[in-house]
Amino acid sequence: MFSSRPISRRCVLASGAALVALSALPRRARAATALRVGMIPDAGATQISIDQKKPLRDYLAAKLGRDVDLVIPTNYNATVEALGNGSLDFAYLGGLTYVKAHAQYGVVPLVQRTSDREFHSLFITQTAAPINALKDIRGKKFAFGDINSTSGHLMPFYAMTQAGIDPDKDLSYRYTGNHPATAKAVESGAVDAGAIDESVYRAMLDGGQLDKSKMRIFFTTPPFLDYVWVARKDSAPADRTAFAGAFLSLHAPGDAAVLEILRGTSFVRANDGEYDLLRTIATKLKLL
Amino acid sequence: MIDAFTNLLRLVGSFFPPDLSAAYLRALLVPIAQTIGMAAAGMLIAFVLGVPLAVAIATRAPGHRLIVAVLSALRAIPDLTLAILAVVVVGLGPAAGIVALALFYSAMVGRVYGDLFAAADAAPLEALRATGASRIAIAVYGLIPLTLPDLLTFGTYAFECAMRASIIVGAVGGGGIGTELAGTLSTLDFHRTLTLLIVLVALVAAVDAFGMLARRDPRLVLLLLPLGLISLWLYRPQIFAFAHAVHTFATMFPPHLRASQIASLPLLIAQTLAIAVGGTVIGALLAFPASLVAARRIVPFAVAVAVRRVFDVARAIPELVFGLILIVTVGIGPLAGALALGLHSAGVLGKLYAESLENVPAAPIDALAATGARRLPIVAFGFLPLALGPLVVHTLFRLEWNVRAATVVGLIGAGGIGQALYQAQQLFFYQQMLAYVLVTWGLVALSDWFGERLRLRLGWNFVAA
Repeated sequence: MFSSRPISRRCVLASGAALVALSALPRRARAATALRVGMIPDAGATQISIDQKKPLRDYLAAKLGRDVDLVIPTNYNATVEALGNGSLDFAYLGGLTYVKAHAQYGVVPLVQRTSDREFHSLFITQTAAPINALKDIRGKKFAFGDINSTSGHLMPFYAMTQAGIDPDKDLSYRYTGNHPATAKAVESGAVDAGAIDESVYRAMLDGGQLDKSKMRIFFTTPPFLDYVWVARKDSAPADRTAFAGAFLSLHAPGDAAVLEILRGTSFVRANDGEYDLLRTIATKLKLL
Repeated sequence: MIDAFTNLLRLVGSFFPPDLSAAYLRALLVPIAQTIGMAAAGMLIAFVLGVPLAVAIATRAPGHRLIVAVLSALRAIPDLTLAILAVVVVGLGPAAGIVALALFYSAMVGRVYGDLFAAADAAPLEALRATGASRIAIAVYGLIPLTLPDLLTFGTYAFECAMRASIIVGAVGGGGIGTELAGTLSTLDFHRTLTLLIVLVALVAAVDAFGMLARRDPRLVLLLLPLGLISLWLYRPQIFAFAHAVHTFATMFPPHLRASQIASLPLLIAQTLAIAVGGTVIGALLAFPASLVAARRIVPFAVAVAVRRVFDVARAIPELVFGLILIVTVGIGPLAGALALGLHSAGVLGKLYAESLENVPAAPIDALAATGARRLPIVAFGFLPLALGPLVVHTLFRLEWNVRAATVVGLIGAGGIGQALYQAQQLFFYQQMLAYVLVTWGLVALSDWFGERLRLRLGWNFVAA
């Protein structure tokens, strides 16, 4: 094995030289032209799901006249940090995540679905469970989704406190990390009840991922403001206008494929001021 | 009981058949390349940084104590946490994974190679030193050639670990199979989860096979150099947000916990320790009977090999991946965490137990057999007492490792200090997050120290690789 040493040294030297040469090349040729658009992970972050979003990517690229990279980070924190350090230009955030990202990095709200202005969180249980109202969950096992989720944690938590329940004292709860896991935990009986995003719940029932006969909704929260598309603070105003315009001009049936990916019917402009209620609740619950 | 069993069968059944469609396999090429690339590039940096550090430690260069302390501290931070922090600096994508792996494994290579160098034959090194050779010359002509076989053994082992770890860092957004795996689980697409598990086992087996070849012909290791360099170039950071990182890391200081959080620390630590102990016990209980039928001196060769393949599969799947699966399928909480640790530990311990059983001296066993004893008494009164020491040491080592692993599965919902850390991070309470990182670090460092003391005390101080 000692005979190999001269070879290895030459190799190391050559590779070192190659490394130096490579690093001198222009580095950000492609990154500078493609817009990076992030989607939060609650709809599934797989290679296939990104491929399935190709119509959305193509639509945006055509409207913006730029290459578009769709990125699905696996957690909320990573998405916001990426907006903060500029590795994402635009992103789709839940209400609470938006409020934090706005406070932290001054992200700019652009557009949201009409349905995001009247969003609901559902309290679900098993069909046969003796739970018919919020007060019945005292002493039970309960599942929230991700701790940073508006519809999976913040609003249902708030609904409980409004009903005179102190989740920290009156029940034992856990975070499942995402909406489908919450639904599965309820279906399997691992918990007695859970709180879930209404659009994810209905999509799971329609897709046959949940047994319809086993599940029941026992409480629906009052409407609240949720998901929103945002731009990072120092993105170009022209890009922002074009990005918002692309969403505002989506109409069925011509754009049905894109709208289906976004699980919406039409888009409207979003305003930061309307998130004040969410901000107040989040502060009250020590989540902000 | 029967109900639970049918539920389990139905659960396992829901993963079959794996999705082996051409479209999906083609879609997986990118994640697979990312996973291999993260491991190769991360390890390249780890060796470039780690070997000089190891030489500095072994030759007692000025400041070597400080180096040892820093490396130990780095190793005590879970790789998953490092990966999340790396996103702050280099943005989303494989580059974050590479940074995390490079940091974690530089520390590992530095520490372990340092120990290996320190244990090298002193006489030739003294001769070299007497000629007035520099530290670099001593390393190149003395330390490295003297310890080459051990360096290679550990190097390939570390590479195998890095391959698994690149799955782990992928699960937080580094990209690759880990991101894909987390995605399939969150959409309950279990057929594809199984496809990914098969890919993962195959990758780890390939690294293992490569390691065996490299031990025969060390020049093969040089093949990894271009692989690492190409990966490094392909997955170089899209951004390097230095100012942003300084600002973000500054918001973590000073570490701070609310009074109520401090009050709940003992409970969180107890939960983490319970996950670690529970996982080790489950692993040992599964591994022990299985190892008896995996030892070639106890059962026929074919049986032993078959059982070992099962161990290999369990070993190839990291605790975190078992955890992700169990949390979606079985439920959340410390039990899922302990089970996750237990399943992976069973694979590791099964292999080590079987090897220990095979390594017992032949004479006492032959003597027992000569009395006409049957197989079971020979195992009970021959193999077991003879292998007891190594079995206990392996189990203690695993317990030590599992304390670290318990914090990692905590991050995905198993509970304990890891979960508190993750939640603080997800809510951007960075001062709290840093406080939990420090507590985790203290816990892991303490368990390492305690394990070392215990082994010294018991007089079983050998390295179980």
